[in-house]
Amino acid sequence: MNAVEFPLRLKRSWFGVKIGKKKFYLFVMISVSNLTKSYGAAPALKGISFEIKKGEFFGLLGPNGAGKTTTISIMSTLLEPDSGSVKIASFDLKSNPTDSKKIIGVVPQEIALYNELSAYDNLMFWGSLYNVSKSDLKSRIEETLKLFGLFDRRNDKVKTYSGGMKRRINIASALLHRPKVLFMDEPTVGIDPQSRNLIFEVVEKLHREGMTIVYTTHYMEEAERFCDRIAIIDSGTIIAQGTLDELKSLSKISETIVVSFSNFSEDLYQKISSEWAGVTRHENDVHFATSDVKKDLAAMVLKCSQLGLNISHIDIKKVNLETIFLSLTGKQLRD
Amino acid sequence: MLRLAFKDLKLFFAEKRSVMLTFAVPIALITLFAFAFGGVGQDKRKARPTRVVVADEDQTLASKKIIAELDSSKELEVSLIAGEQAESAVKKGDEAAVLVLHKGLSDSLDAGKKPPIEFKYDAAKEAEIGILQGALIGKLMSIVGGKSMEKSVIAQIDSENPNLDEATKKLIHQQVSKNLSSGETKKMADNFIKTTALVAEEETSPGLVQAVAGTAIMMLLFSVVSVGASMLDEKQEGTLKKLLYAPLHPNSILFGKMIYANVISMLQLSVMFLYAKVAFGLDIFSHLPALLLMIVATAFACSSFGVLLASIGKTRQQVQGLSTLIVLIMSCIGGSMIPTFIMPQFMQKISVFSVNYWGIQGFYDIFWRSLPLTDTTFLTRILVLVAIGTVMNLIALQMFKKNVLNIA
Repeated sequence: MNAVEFPLRLKRSWFGVKIGKKKFYLFVMISVSNLTKSYGAAPALKGISFEIKKGEFFGLLGPNGAGKTTTISIMSTLLEPDSGSVKIASFDLKSNPTDSKKIIGVVPQEIALYNELSAYDNLMFWGSLYNVSKSDLKSRIEETLKLFGLFDRRNDKVKTYSGGMKRRINIASALLHRPKVLFMDEPTVGIDPQSRNLIFEVVEKLHREGMTIVYTTHYMEEAERFCDRIAIIDSGTIIAQGTLDELKSLSKISETIVVSFSNFSEDLYQKISSEWAGVTRHENDVHFATSDVKKDLAAMVLKCSQLGLNISHIDIKKVNLETIFLSLTGKQLRD
Repeated sequence: MLRLAFKDLKLFFAEKRSVMLTFAVPIALITLFAFAFGGVGQDKRKARPTRVVVADEDQTLASKKIIAELDSSKELEVSLIAGEQAESAVKKGDEAAVLVLHKGLSDSLDAGKKPPIEFKYDAAKEAEIGILQGALIGKLMSIVGGKSMEKSVIAQIDSENPNLDEATKKLIHQQVSKNLSSGETKKMADNFIKTTALVAEEETSPGLVQAVAGTAIMMLLFSVVSVGASMLDEKQEGTLKKLLYAPLHPNSILFGKMIYANVISMLQLSVMFLYAKVAFGLDIFSHLPALLLMIVATAFACSSFGVLLASIGKTRQQVQGLSTLIVLIMSCIGGSMIPTFIMPQFMQKISVFSVNYWGIQGFYDIFWRSLPLTDTTFLTRILVLVAIGTVMNLIALQMFKKNVLNIA
């Protein structure tokens, strides 16, 4: 029998029930309905809709230009949609943007800090914009700097920090007003492993404490590790959404056959990709997405032989978000 | 090597801003300076007529004839002003000098007495006065001086030599007339026409006021550009976007910049005038209320210019290129580089379109003309500066919404 947990401390918990390893969230925190947005004649969003529950960790995945940043920008009140609506908690973003802003925190992709100011002064400034009392702000800054391992460097100018340290301060500055919803746009791009691990720890802590997090990333392992649910967006449309298991079942593939060739060439790759659906090239390896590895492996080996390709190595990989994404969109995530 | 040079040339001509700064800005400045120094826009074979303002208090045929003769001269161009306005026009800096034909001019000429003609001038405008005096006095002497002097000298000779025969008298009269019309009269000009400096020659040098006010305003304009351009830095570095995530009204971001620019501007002007006090003895404390008011108004107008530029430009580089051009033009036509009163008339007319003009004239009002705080001329300059600042801020607000906030 599965254990059932009911959260008793509402302030510091996720708002749902846990049955075994599965979490069920109860209350809707963000509701996005029929959102459209165009830049001139080019449509960026073509009527997307989704809901994010309170305390949920929601991933938004898609290649460059898919509409992720536009969606985040609208949800964080930076952009107005052409049509459709967004509600965060009980606030409609269009009619009540100021109250909505008070409960959201945004970690932008770029490091948006004042380099000539110290980390402490940066946090003091960004925190003061949310009307946090000075004494509360001071104690929160101290707490946050310790959390991110930068308390000892608090009085140093940000320009003297490494990229990873700046990223940590960038995230810290979005947390000082204790937001209920946190938007994180590629928060770990281009940083050292130490900073990345620290950020992961903080993100997991925030999630455990019940914060609703909307996360965009190119790193599949991050999405697989953190996200309760994932929406895959491509060309302004959500093409799939659900838990990782739900997406796996949607994609109709289970494994990937990774083949290396001793006589690989562009011409041979073109031949094989015209003969076989779901083939992608990764340097000199070719990936075959398949829902039935036993059946497809034999056929693939035969086809390669007929085309004159000499196989030097074969590997079978279990399905992951990368292959699901490829299967659903026909593109790689970094396209 | 040649390929490298060709690549750089190609890059240079592809960058419109560099091309503008290299060619268009110097051409524009050369043109402006040429106009400002009066070397352009006139027939080079003929001297440009010097404008002379005349107040005719006598209103007789004789006075009107003098005015008509002055006006018919190729060297002079007469403008009339009412007698009661003549003095205040000079005191307020509207005119550099006024020639006043006092009541009794006609009678004095008939009686062979010294004519009641007064040349009232602003001693701050020495260069302009020199040109005007040179053109005016000689002509005036040739019109009225000769006749008056001739009558006076002949009458004196006749009265002192009553026994001379008619033939000798006639010979002497002819010789006197000949001598007095030969140009020698110019030497007597100083005694013949009364000259009055209307603005008291205090210890403050007008050159010092010009140097401090002109330079301070020009440098202030350069400074506020960088203050305004910090908005574009925020845009480029992503902090503007982050500010927009916060629960602030977007306009408050611009208002914050305006306050910052105003504070820096007031501080800069105050430091400049304090320096002028310490280094050159400019008496700032005797005029403190008016000075503070003018500093606030000038800072407001100048800072709004910086904010406007920041809201028009899309990158810092674009703003810097544009601002260098505009600040130099405004400083040139507004009197920061060359005092406006030595510029040709049409340049003086367009100088009112620069912030520099109103600021510099305001500081002249305080330190040179000693106008009281309540004087309408001084208050008008304050109002114009405030109006310039308000209009530029309103335009900046609109442009900010259109250019800067459109960051997605």
